Amino acid sequence: MLFKLSWKNIITRPYSSGLSVVLLASSIMIILLAILTMDQLEDKFNENANKIDLVVGAKGSRLQLVLCNVFHVDHPTGNIYQEDVSFLSKHPFVKSAIPISLGDSYKSYRIVGTELSFLTNLYQTPLREGSFFKKSLEVVAGADVAQKLDLKIGSVFHGSHGISESIHDHDDFDYTIVGILKPSGEVIDQLLVTSLESVWDVHPSDHDKGSFDLTKEKTHAHDHGHDHDHHGENHEESKKEVTALLINYSSPRAKFSIPSLVNKKEQIMAAEPAIEIKQLVDLLAPAKSVLSVLAWFIFGLAVISMIITLLNSMKDRKYEIAMMRVSGATARVVLFSILLEGFLISLLGILFGFILGHGLMELMGYYLTMNYHYDFTGLVFDFIELWIIAGVLLIGMISALIPAIVAYRIDISQTLKNKT
Amino acid sequence: MIQTKGLSVAYGNRKIEFPDLQIDKGDQLLVLGKSGSGKTSLLNLLGGVLSPVSGNVLVNDQDLNSLSGRKQDKFRGDNIGFIFQTPHFIKALNVEGNLQLSQYLTGKRDDSHLDQLLQKVDLLHRKKDNISNLSEGEKQRISIVRALINKPEIILADEPTSALDDVSCDTIVQLLKNLSQENNAVLVIVTHDKRLKDQFNNHIELNAI
Repeated sequence: MLFKLSWKNIITRPYSSGLSVVLLASSIMIILLAILTMDQLEDKFNENANKIDLVVGAKGSRLQLVLCNVFHVDHPTGNIYQEDVSFLSKHPFVKSAIPISLGDSYKSYRIVGTELSFLTNLYQTPLREGSFFKKSLEVVAGADVAQKLDLKIGSVFHGSHGISESIHDHDDFDYTIVGILKPSGEVIDQLLVTSLESVWDVHPSDHDKGSFDLTKEKTHAHDHGHDHDHHGENHEESKKEVTALLINYSSPRAKFSIPSLVNKKEQIMAAEPAIEIKQLVDLLAPAKSVLSVLAWFIFGLAVISMIITLLNSMKDRKYEIAMMRVSGATARVVLFSILLEGFLISLLGILFGFILGHGLMELMGYYLTMNYHYDFTGLVFDFIELWIIAGVLLIGMISALIPAIVAYRIDISQTLKNKT
Repeated sequence: MIQTKGLSVAYGNRKIEFPDLQIDKGDQLLVLGKSGSGKTSLLNLLGGVLSPVSGNVLVNDQDLNSLSGRKQDKFRGDNIGFIFQTPHFIKALNVEGNLQLSQYLTGKRDDSHLDQLLQKVDLLHRKKDNISNLSEGEKQRISIVRALINKPEIILADEPTSALDDVSCDTIVQLLKNLSQENNAVLVIVTHDKRLKDQFNNHIELNAI
């Protein structure tokens, strides 16, 4: 009955109750968006960053080196000569050094030229169907690419130069899908993986061009009669290029020796994904703080609005409350019924806030997935959300305490004397 | 049933003293007096809503002022039904909801009693209506139902007819008289409404000092 009373009291004042609920919901929504985005961002980053101890690539931005070669989001860095980094594969502290070569894409999905160990050792993603690539121009597709571009075993496509748009199609080279990976939830789902030879075949090294250098348009016709079986020998003669080397250590001591060893060299540079990502996340931290401050500000407004709403309604309802007291309601029952109103308003705010927060996150997830090929979703929950629920309910009830005490203290005889 | 002894209240410098009363079970008493004569104060004293400066009120030999605030509230809910000049209801609840709330507050849910009483004031058909849709006379009839809903032994009515026209006034008075009789309850009405004087045998007048 008291529940019904409090509930009816809320819904008979739809505008003022609504305002409190909307403000509460907005602040919760913003907090949730900040938490969910940062959580997933950090998760994705860490998940992928922890797989690789060190990235070695061309001199330039360390962050870019990591972003493009580990997360496959930024533009590729310039190329390096494989012979300049060959010493790393032989180093005793290095467990694995996997070369990758970037620069081409198909419908904005990146084509990664690499060794088989990229799939079998680094990401350890099993095949769903088909087989791994054995020859040049054979491609293994990540689960998401395959699904979104409707690629099947035997599908043929042409890579285009560059990462985002088809500026230049390599029409002369037919990539063929030979395998499709199982979904892993990692960046590999978004990649088209092929052998290094494929990339070298499509971009003959005698051109000596950076992988994303578009200033030099290809002027020569590709060698149509080129026999794939012989390309390996051809490349032996020239300097082979790769975009980066993904290194995993065999010894914890490598952390202190390998990066400096690499950085001493003139043409190459080393970047540790874990460090770069930590810096990036730290860079984003102020954005999270700004959002949090905004959310708290709106939450403060919501609380004030609720207090004022309830106080105003106490003024309207003082006769009702006096009447309740006369009918046998103890002051405590009155106090409790007002607290219940605060509780219910908070509950509504939480309900709508969570629907909005997670709903909007899910919508943004679609957008982010479409644009960055990273899966974001609104259907994940953070443990901290339980604390938000508990906190908001508690604060809601505490702020209802002021009007509740006003109601508690109503002098029945005085109130009923002031006849209307 | 109700005994008062040496009751007085004070408003600033003004002190109002009341004559001692002795009301027996089933009695009906009309208290007449001008504005400021302390009629409402007397009623509030009898209902335990107001504490006297001196004197005491005994209801069934229970001194109202010796009860703690909480027990007073409970006692009121169980034993006393109030009716005011302006009937106040919880606007958020409909007729039935308001009556059920009164029952809930004393822990006596009884739907058939509720319907019976509504039937007696001829408003059963308005059970699901909003309070704001009722006329003043209808509201007063509902407030009589509310006063009687928990089968109290005492009904205290403060100017129950002052806002009503003659026809409504007559209806309300008859309802009050008959229903309190049926329930074997004491009825005390305080008013300045002279129309009521002839309806009651038992009346006293309060004079402002």
